[in-house]
Formats: sequence, C-alpha cells, structure tokens
Amino acid sequence: MYDATHLFEPPVMTEEEKLEHFKERIENGEKIEADDWMPDFYRDTLIKLISMHGISEIMGALPEKEWVPKAPSLRRKLGIMAKVQDEMGHGQLLLRVVEDLMKPYGKTRADLMDDLFTGRLKFHNVFHMPTRSWADAGTIGWLVDGAAIITQTNMLGASYGPYARALQRICAEEVFHAQHGESIIMALAEGTPAQKAMIQESLDEWWESLLMFFGPATKETTGTSKQDVTIAYKIRTKTNEELRQNFFTKYVPRIRSLGLVIPDPTLRFDEETGQWIYAQPDWTEFKKIIQGGGPRSKERLALRQTSYQNNAWVREALAETIG
Amino acid sequence: MTEAERLALASLLYQLADDDFLYAYRGSEWLGLAPHIEEDVASSSIAQDSMGHAAMYYQLLEEIGEGKADALAHVRLAHERKNSVLVERVNGPGYYMENPEYDWAYAVVRNYCYTLAKKVRIDSLKKSSYAPLAALAVKINMELYYHLLHWQTWFTQLYQSTETARQKMDAALERVLADFGDLFDYGEATQLIDEMQLMEDQGVLLDRWYQALTPVLVDLNVTLPEMNMTYNGRNGEHSPDLNDALSTLGEVYLLDQSAVW
Amino acid sequence: MTETFYQEFEIFSKRTPNAAFTHQFSLLAPNKEMALMMAQENFMRREPVVDIWVVKREDIRGMTPDEKQMLQRLDNKDYRTTKGYGYLKKKWRHYEQQMLDEKEIMSWQGGDSK
Repeated sequence: MYDATHLFEPPVMTEEEKLEHFKERIENGEKIEADDWMPDFYRDTLIKLISMHGISEIMGALPEKEWVPKAPSLRRKLGIMAKVQDEMGHGQLLLRVVEDLMKPYGKTRADLMDDLFTGRLKFHNVFHMPTRSWADAGTIGWLVDGAAIITQTNMLGASYGPYARALQRICAEEVFHAQHGESIIMALAEGTPAQKAMIQESLDEWWESLLMFFGPATKETTGTSKQDVTIAYKIRTKTNEELRQNFFTKYVPRIRSLGLVIPDPTLRFDEETGQWIYAQPDWTEFKKIIQGGGPRSKERLALRQTSYQNNAWVREALAETIG
Repeated sequence: MTEAERLALASLLYQLADDDFLYAYRGSEWLGLAPHIEEDVASSSIAQDSMGHAAMYYQLLEEIGEGKADALAHVRLAHERKNSVLVERVNGPGYYMENPEYDWAYAVVRNYCYTLAKKVRIDSLKKSSYAPLAALAVKINMELYYHLLHWQTWFTQLYQSTETARQKMDAALERVLADFGDLFDYGEATQLIDEMQLMEDQGVLLDRWYQALTPVLVDLNVTLPEMNMTYNGRNGEHSPDLNDALSTLGEVYLLDQSAVW
Repeated sequence: MTETFYQEFEIFSKRTPNAAFTHQFSLLAPNKEMALMMAQENFMRREPVVDIWVVKREDIRGMTPDEKQMLQRLDNKDYRTTKGYGYLKKKWRHYEQQMLDEKEIMSWQGGDSK
C-alpha cells in the first residue's frame, strides 16, 4: 500500500513541545483519548487512580455479597443481586479503561490481579470492613454509595475521555444503588424497635469509615494524597475536604430526619465559615486499613484469590478457544 | 377444583417454585467469584431472572391460598420443599464467604442440563389446563432462549478446549446425572397432575430432554453417564445441603416474620 | 507470563429498529460467541436493545492522530447544503409560492401530500 502521509508529516515535536501541546488541550477542555500522546505522569496517575477505583468495585462486591442470599424477601433478594451485579459491572468498565492505559507497558488484567494479591494495588478503606447485619447492606447502599456518588460525579468531566464515559454509565447506575439503600433503610427506620436499633448500630459502625472514604484533607495527613496532580490536569475538580463537606451537607439532615443519631457529638455546621466542624477519623488507622491491615482485609483478599486460583483452569481452557 | 386437585396443583407449583428458588440461590453464590468478570455480570442476570421466575410461581401459590409468597420462600423446612436434589447441591466445598472451592465445570454442566430440562418443562406448561400457569409459562419462556444459549456456549466451548477441562466436565456430568432422576418426577402427586392435564407425563418430557441433548453430546463425542436418583426431592427427601441453604436464605427473614423488611 | 484469553471486543447495539448502531463499550472474551453471550448483560441491562454487533478490536481500522488531519475541510462548501440556496425563499415568495424546505419535504413521509 502506497503511503503518502509522510508528505504531510508535522514537524517532529520535542518532548517539551508535546507536553505544551498536551497542556493546551487540557486547558481548552479537550478530551484525551487512549491513543493520544500523553505524558507518563498523566498516564501513571490515571492508571493508579482508575485501577484502584476499578478493583475497589470488584472487592466492593464481596462485603455486600454476603447479604445477597440472606436478603429478607424475594424482592430484596432481587434488588441486592442486581446491585452487586452492577458493582462487578462497574469494575468491568473501569478495568477496561485502565487495561487500555497499561497497554504500552505490556500489562493486562492478569497483572492487575497479581498486583492486588501482592498488595501493590490497594482498594478503598470501606471494603476492608465487616458487614455484620442486614442493616449494613442498607448503609452501604445509602451512605457508602452516596459518598461514592459525590466523588464520582466530581470526575464526570474528567479530561481523560474513556474514564469520563465510564463514569457517566456508573453514576447513572449509582442512582439506583442509592435508592436501593434508602429503601432498605426506610423500611428498617419505620419498623420494629429491633429493626431501628439495627440501623443505629450500623451507622455507629460505619460513620468513621464514611469520613475516611473521601481521603485525608492534606498530603501531610498520610503522605499519599494524589489530589494536586488530579486537579491540575482536570481529572477531578474538588479537593477531598470539599467533597467531605458536600457529603455532610447532603446527608447529615437526611440521616437525622430518620431519627438516627450521628456518633459524633461535636458535629455541627459553622455558619460563619460555612463549614461543617467534625471529629477527625483516625488517619493512622486509615493508612493501616488501606495497606491491608483492616478488620476483613485478609479474608476478602483470600476470597478473591481462592476463586481466582480455582478458576485458573477455566482461563487456560478459554485460551484454547481464541478465535 | 376439589381440595385434592388443589393440593396436586400446589404440589406442582411448589416443585417449580422451589426449583428456581434454589437454582437462583446457587447461581447467586457465584457472584464476585466467577472465572471472568464479564461472565460474572452476565451470569448474575440469569440468576436474577430465575429468582424472578421463582417469585412468580410463589405468587401463584399465594393466589390459591397457600400463604404469602415471601413466607413460602423463606419459612418452609427442608422436608416441605419439593425441589429437585440437583439444584440444592453446593457449588463445591467451602462456604460462599469462606474458602469457596467452587467448581465452574459443575456450574456449567448443572446449569446447562437444568436449563434444558426447564425449557422442556416450560414448553409443556404452555399447554397446561391451569390457565394462569400456562400464561406464566409463556412469559418465562421468553427469557429461556438466552439462558440456554449461554450455558450451551460454555458447555460446548469448555468441552472443546483443554484435556483438563474435558476431564472436569466429564466428572461434573457424572455428578449431575447422579442427581437428575427426580427432575421430571412429580412425586406423590403424579396421578392427579396427569389426570388434571396440568403437565405432560414425565416419560414424555424425559424423552424430549434426551432428544435435545443427544446431538450436542454426539458432536462433542461425549457419552451420557447413567441417570440416577439419590433422593426424590419431589417427595420432600433431600440432602443435608438443603438445610444449610435454607438457614442462609431465611436468616434475616426469620429474625422477625411479622416485620416489614 | 502465561498466555491469556483476553481478546478485546467492541460492542455496538441498536435501541430501536429504526435507530443506528451505537458504540457501547468494550469487553474481554476469547471469541465472538462468548463476547456475544456477555454483551447485553454487561452494557445494556436496563435499556431496550433490538440488535447487537460484537467486533474484534483488531479488525477495526481506526485513525492515527496524524491521519485525523484528513478530516479537516475548508468552510467554503455551502453549494453542498441548503444554506447556499437560501435566497430561493425570497424568489418563491415573489411568485406567491412557498419554498419546499427540508422541514416541509421531510414531512412527506408515507407519501402524504399535504
């Protein structure tokens, strides 16, 4: 095939020129696509962010999965099955996005799984926690997914096109998740004293994890915050603390309206600063949790690893059917 | 309808409802553990559809005065259950939250053989003398095309892959057939189900199942192992697996049966 | 590293019989048949769909960033569009006739003459 494109070849750009051009595109609000040139730090930041997001969805299926068969009516069984299925589906979307980003490094989904098992790839703090009761399934849907909606909608306009498109799908489904959770919580809140006690206990258990979910306010807290780069390159717009404040504004009145007590007596809205004042969660504990030292970290990883290893023969078998 | 006839109808509906209820449960235990993420998502839809079918059968039971659908699904003890033993069997050693040594070959073979039988049964139910059941069969049939094709694709592809896969599939087929004997059985209600023309004779259905399966097996050069019956689930005889399943399925509901969940 | 079965498939679907195929997303599967078994439940669980295509990504000839230069056009082609013939409206008015514009013509579907 005769190739005439060389006649139109743009002048070879230096690395600095490429970077300048890239920054201009981001400034102009253009979307970066998988095949476009991007600086390594942008690619690496995305890989880190999206692989953690994706694997968290996959790991996030496990704490709720426990309550799928136990759900207390046929309708609840169906609802939670669909919800956990969506979590796996979100994992699928996000892993596809990150797999395309890793392609130049010659890495695949199998490497992501290895990274998870060896601890190189972390997942969100909330998915290291136990789910002790049916009310926890409600709390996860209502508040953990509520927190997730806040962080994910913050990235809907992400400069990386494939991520923005995946988030568009994910956020649309999260609306169902939040309502699924609200419906469980509402039934318990309007139920017997034992049912009411069940949600209060669940809120007490989960409150600190919910605050941690948004990450530390500053890098100094844990030394791992990536928020500066992600904001500079328009992957996200708001800081961790701004997102946490949004969460308070949206959810504190709703939680209280159901007669639930938030386990933080210092929590209040300060009219003067327009900020919520709250007791900081234990950030040392947070660091420990995401590094795999949470109450259920080992069990959850073992569960995923057992199934991954047990099914190795299936993946090998499928490799014979490539066509 | 005489009381005896109502009971025969109820017996058949319990068989259908309990089958899909347990089948959907075993499917849902695979959530998050399937060999491939895309498959995890796809097969979860099949488990959901099947749970939806169970809910519709329990609803028919509610309508003939057997009690509330949720209570029928969650409260009845093992000896009251009429599902085939095949669908109550565990997915493998371990618990779904701890060391699940689940066998995907068993899942594929069980799901394929069960879905093929379900298709044969639903086709027969479309002609049932009990009109609400015939109408329901027409609806359920719409979702079966995908279920059947899905499991047939897995069944044939795994059989045509590695030697290891083939051995695992053969072993699974052996186990599935060892429990298959009660699937088309109607248990103690056989005579009335036949007289009332609720559903065709079990021998006829079994033949249709063999006829549908045989060409697939011939293509794959697979010999069908002997079919047996360990327990007759249709008469409430079950393996210990069912008891464990029921205590998980009813754990929250049974905390307070009168509460709204 | 062991060989994996991960082949990339792009999934397209049609929402209604009259709609065009729309790209949905991509998935990993070993072959077309498996890809098709997973497509609807992964990307169209909640929306109607009347048809699905699964396409192996390597069979798609896309454009490199450089090749996208071929998409550029000068903005001097109004002779190709109705924009270049807008003056006719005034002309027809002179003859006391209405111009048959796009809106009018597209409203004739089904052969109705209004």
